[in-house]
Amino acid sequence: MTVRPINVLMANDSLAAGGAERVAVDLANSLDPQTHRIRFCSTRSGGPLAADLRSGIELDVLGRTSTWDLARLAKFARLVNETETDIIHTHGRGTMKFVALARALHLIRAKHVFHDHFAAGALQQHASIDLRIPMQRHVDAYLGVDARLCSWACETAGMDPARTFLTRSGVDLDRFTRATRIDLRARFGLAPDRFIIAKIANFRPQKDHPTLFRAIAELPDDVRSRLTVVAVGSTTADADYFASCMGMVEQLGIGDCLEVFGESDDAPGVLAGADAALLSSKNETGPLVVLEYMASSLPFVATDTGEITHAVRDLGVGFVPTPRDHLALADALTTLVRMDPEGRAAMGREGRRVAEEEFDQRLVTRSVEQIYEWVLGLRSEPDLLQHAGA
Amino acid sequence: MTVVLCTCDGERWLPEMLQSLSAQDRLPDELIVNDDASSDGSVGLIEAFAETAPFPVHLQQNAERFGSTANFGSALARSSGRVVALADQDDVWYPNKLDLILAEFEKDPTISMVFSDADLIDEAGRNLQRRLWDTRLVGRTLRLHPVVPEEMLARRALTTGCTMAIRRRVVDAALPFPDLLNDPRGIMRHDRWLSLVAAAVGTVRSLSEPLVGFRVHPAQETGVLLPRQLATALGQAVFGVTRNPSAAEEHEVRASQLAAAAGRADLVGDFKEAATLRQVADHQLARSQVGRSGHGPLSVLRAAAGGAYRGDPLSSAAFAADLLRSTRLRARALAPELLRADPTPARGPEQEPSLR
Repeated sequence: MTVRPINVLMANDSLAAGGAERVAVDLANSLDPQTHRIRFCSTRSGGPLAADLRSGIELDVLGRTSTWDLARLAKFARLVNETETDIIHTHGRGTMKFVALARALHLIRAKHVFHDHFAAGALQQHASIDLRIPMQRHVDAYLGVDARLCSWACETAGMDPARTFLTRSGVDLDRFTRATRIDLRARFGLAPDRFIIAKIANFRPQKDHPTLFRAIAELPDDVRSRLTVVAVGSTTADADYFASCMGMVEQLGIGDCLEVFGESDDAPGVLAGADAALLSSKNETGPLVVLEYMASSLPFVATDTGEITHAVRDLGVGFVPTPRDHLALADALTTLVRMDPEGRAAMGREGRRVAEEEFDQRLVTRSVEQIYEWVLGLRSEPDLLQHAGA
Repeated sequence: MTVVLCTCDGERWLPEMLQSLSAQDRLPDELIVNDDASSDGSVGLIEAFAETAPFPVHLQQNAERFGSTANFGSALARSSGRVVALADQDDVWYPNKLDLILAEFEKDPTISMVFSDADLIDEAGRNLQRRLWDTRLVGRTLRLHPVVPEEMLARRALTTGCTMAIRRRVVDAALPFPDLLNDPRGIMRHDRWLSLVAAAVGTVRSLSEPLVGFRVHPAQETGVLLPRQLATALGQAVFGVTRNPSAAEEHEVRASQLAAAAGRADLVGDFKEAATLRQVADHQLARSQVGRSGHGPLSVLRAAAGGAYRGDPLSSAAFAADLLRSTRLRARALAPELLRADPTPARGPEQEPSLR
């Protein structure tokens, strides 16, 4: 008997450079092509990560303008039915609701796996009805990247714990092994002895750039005179926020310590050109970027927020200060910059080792493949992932 | 964790208050006491307590009376804890208060303030079987919103000092207290200011469990309304505002205070939150114009449709008051204009007042 591959449609709002988008692309790329036929659907718009999809994965960009965009919904349903999709794996909450609507209208019958990365979701106290109903009735498996997200899904949104799984993100290590280094010193005309810390985060309030700026203003002279933070990320995603941030930089007089790289889809290249890495977010659920720092063998300072940071905070791979505390962040940066180079290198190597052993994308992908089989009734229980609350 | 206690002629209640601090399941790391030139035995009681207290007690005596807001400002400046809880001299804290509040702060680093409900107690300490939030008509609202939106805190006072604890980030952003808190046209107490700043620089969490026995007595500064008084007070508020010529000035002052809190948020980089406060400030400024040309009933209705009066029963009362005021004052303003040969042109919508 010939068994056909499982047809998977990976669906996301867009392919912009961001954590959830990166997870979707890495998953699509790493699913076993012998047993899975993969297609990618960007329900709103495309983006730079489209170029990272491996050859053979077809991409459809729908251009939907809202959850209730019925013309795009019909187009989406046609796509799902014509490609005999077995599993739709959604990543954004907007796309999840879009797919749930298609199911509610009986336009499609494919199984639905919802992978929730919503950063502020870990702190949510409520679930609106337009989340509760789609999740309860039209999601066959909920994958939360953070334990708090899983708790929210079960306790607040009413997801069945038996269909809810904690799924920590992974990292495609090969992308970092074969990275082509971007020479940040040359790009910004920096002296060879400058200590470069890369911060990969779009300019959005959740990333809390102001706490970093206040921390820089508190650094002792010997640290501040050597340090350059290279901010990598979209400056247009929230243009008002970016403008306010730049105003704050000027007000604090820390412009000599900051260079704005702007948006980049080449995190491995940027990180290969840095001496260390940084994240100052106030709340995250991943954050995937910390895995990218570790995969790049870089020591880091990352605020203590999100599943990954919690998992590695005691492993000696970086410094993990309390979020929103500029003095704690300044202390951590000072310690990192003053460390001897060998100490920093050892920290970076340890980070890479942890990434390889615990966060390799292939491990995560195997567990997601089990979820697909379980949802389709091909397996009794996915043994690589824990149910929420287990 | 620091507890900040301000005292002033409180010898009658202080022993019970201090005893309840000593009986906390999770003791504070320090107690900062600022005595506001008491003329009774308060200072002696505190000094005696300091000798046996299970935590350090730092007492400061003001040579002259500051008033409670300035006194709290001074006490907060002397505190060092990463979390600071405010205490009033006449209340009784339940043993689990600090423990539960700290647990909330530990759950989420973005939480800037936690406050709880309180049981009302009488002078003898008997439970009056009433809750503080309900007497302030905010119980339903707060139980629906355990994470209190900053807009809601900006629109009205929801918190009472003795039920609040704030993170150091709030203390740093709120101090020094701006002089305009003392503007006689619209005094703002320390707890309202702190809750505004807390909303602007983080997340405010309410706990519906009562963690304090809030004493109701004639000498207290923060009053409560008992059931029979509530409806009368609400009605008086609505109709009083329509006749009160200083209401407009009060709204103007409130707008300035909100703008000041927004400025503090800007300084620590909470730009979005600052913008929200400025929107509410703009609304307050618009309220100060109600009844004047260009600010008739339609503008009040437009603001209401835009959600500017959303929130709780008192917000609805404010809407009713503004609507009445706009009709009444407008009628009064139109009459002389009809008699004028060369009336002054009305202000167009492009001249809407704005703080920015």
